[in-house]
Amino acid sequence: MNQHTVKAYGDELNQLTAEVARMGGLAEAQVADAVESVARRDVALARAVIERDARLDGMHRDIEKKAIRLIALRQPVASDLRRTLAAMKLAVDLERTGDLAKNISKRALILAEGEPMQPLTRSIERMGKLVSMRLRDVLDAYAVGEVDRAIAVWNTDDEVDEHYNALFRELLTYMMGDPRTITACTHLLFMAKNLERIGDHATNIAETIHYEITGLEFTGERPRWNPDPDLDTPAA
Amino acid sequence: MPFEAAPSPVIPSAASRLWTAGASAGVSIGVLLVLAVAQPGLAPWLLGAAVVVGVATWMINRGSASRIHGGAGVASTAQTIDAADPRLLDSAFEALADPVLVVSGGEADDIAGRRVVLANAAARDLFRIQREGALLVSAVREPTVLEAVDEALFGNVARTTDYSGVGAQTRHWRALTRPLPTPEGDGTLALLVLRDETDVRRMELMRVDFLANASHELKTPLASLTGFIETLKGHARDDPKARDRFLDIMAVQADRMSRLVSDLLSLSRIELNEHIPPAGRVDLSRAAIDVVDAVSVLSAERGVAIRFDTRDLSAPVHGDRDEIVQVVQNLVDNAIKYSAAGDTVDICIKPDVPLEEASAPWSGGAREGGMTRLPLVTPDREPGLRYAAVTVRDHGPGMARENLPRLTERFYRVEGQKSGERSGTGLGLAIVKHIVNRHRGGLTVESAPGQGSVFTAYFPVAQARAAQAEL
Repeated sequence: MNQHTVKAYGDELNQLTAEVARMGGLAEAQVADAVESVARRDVALARAVIERDARLDGMHRDIEKKAIRLIALRQPVASDLRRTLAAMKLAVDLERTGDLAKNISKRALILAEGEPMQPLTRSIERMGKLVSMRLRDVLDAYAVGEVDRAIAVWNTDDEVDEHYNALFRELLTYMMGDPRTITACTHLLFMAKNLERIGDHATNIAETIHYEITGLEFTGERPRWNPDPDLDTPAA
Repeated sequence: MPFEAAPSPVIPSAASRLWTAGASAGVSIGVLLVLAVAQPGLAPWLLGAAVVVGVATWMINRGSASRIHGGAGVASTAQTIDAADPRLLDSAFEALADPVLVVSGGEADDIAGRRVVLANAAARDLFRIQREGALLVSAVREPTVLEAVDEALFGNVARTTDYSGVGAQTRHWRALTRPLPTPEGDGTLALLVLRDETDVRRMELMRVDFLANASHELKTPLASLTGFIETLKGHARDDPKARDRFLDIMAVQADRMSRLVSDLLSLSRIELNEHIPPAGRVDLSRAAIDVVDAVSVLSAERGVAIRFDTRDLSAPVHGDRDEIVQVVQNLVDNAIKYSAAGDTVDICIKPDVPLEEASAPWSGGAREGGMTRLPLVTPDREPGLRYAAVTVRDHGPGMARENLPRLTERFYRVEGQKSGERSGTGLGLAIVKHIVNRHRGGLTVESAPGQGSVFTAYFPVAQARAAQAEL
């Protein structure tokens, strides 16, 4: 880390990063708890998630304020500026993530009133675990400043999409089979959509981390894995 | 000692102080002096004897005194080893199996002030941090733990918090936070100890799952067994033809039950060990060859050919031999089960590929004919780690994409598919999933209706790290 002549300046930057990491931890916990409240039909946990969302919003405002203050007073340039901006952008993504988790919990409350639908909630659980892992990976990457880790998350976004598509079809089949499940299935569908969007936010975070560390915009196609030219494979 | 208690009231007991060297010498010198006074002729001799006794007693006493002092000397050196030797304390701290962190407080409202002052080896491994100086939030982000640390730092409250870490292998932790007194009192410190509770939680889960699965899945074969028994006791009693047929069916059902129980047991065992990576080394391609040999009878019976072109490649992986064989066995069994007579099952080994390629499909990137690829197990990413993959492909009916995510669920069956006479237990892929996960590997499926299915299991290459270090 480069040294600053004014020690307080460096401290403020560090504090910003730490706050974002803490906010990330809270967002992670919100997503994991929301999914668990669906899987275990845990009304108390769902309520706790809904309640805790206010804290996430507060942290978001706090980070934004601190970042603005830092920009106004210190006029950061180059990597310091990127760091400040990245903190602001991440806070937005994390705040949205929290909102989506809250929404999942709200729906969990409604689902808990009806009959249990285990095979379907298990699919949600599986997708939730996948999304949580991605979120953890990008936040780890942010905490230690590893671009590669972030890019690895970015590269595997289609995994979540695939789960979402599969779940979508599964739910359609259910609803066609038994119209009485339509209400519950619609809620599950929205939950899946929310999880998919949380996955997108993780991807956004990965892009922001890339920008923060390298200073370059992350552009281009998702790099498909290219077959080894030595192997005789059909044209990709 | 001949007499514990004195035989006469006059003679003192053996332990009495009167038997010590000083006392007996005093008595004998006294006697000698009295004799010297009574017999003046022998006085010089008697006085000489008294002096000799005196000197001898002094020597004896001096010897035992130095012995006592010597003993005290040994005790005091032992104490200096016990006492706070910083190096000893340090190595003990380092060697603790539980992750231990000492956290400094800073300002109450400044999260960047919470820094890891000291972390032992287990903690550094777990959180991938330096021994000292790391931000606490870069190690632990769990909000409940952060709160507990804050309470220890600023509220002087000791707490215990439970949380689970996200990952390919879910781990359950119990975090103990304790306020630490500081010598100078200029800053606040807190101790954070993590204890792995995964074993306990897994045990609980296993019991619940086992009971639920076993009772649910054994119900059907048991019901049919009781049905047949009743029939045999009733009107089929005197019909030898029907009896034989029923007994055959009963044997099949009993066989299914026993397979089910043994599969459930092995699944539970693997699940219990899932967070402990295996220690051994296995050649993936040897394992595949063994499996191919073992199933050759079955495949010949069903008219399914097995093509295994890459059997000469050696692919050493970290793993438990029996478990790796079981993975390949289950995949090949499934492939044969869902193949029609005259079909081919392809097995392919790739000994050394990066994660992206290992989880990529059979065809090497290109998705042919609209097949859907879906990772069923994805390992935690470790940079530079390479994998050996085994791919099993059948040309059976294939599966629609909505079925794919649930394949590794216990007892899940794709609707409208028959797995032939030798019906499975519905646990094969669940077992594969848990073994692969335990090995820190991955599992991918690719399929489309009418195009067969492709399963790829991949495991970390043995000594990949050593090779990495040499580069």
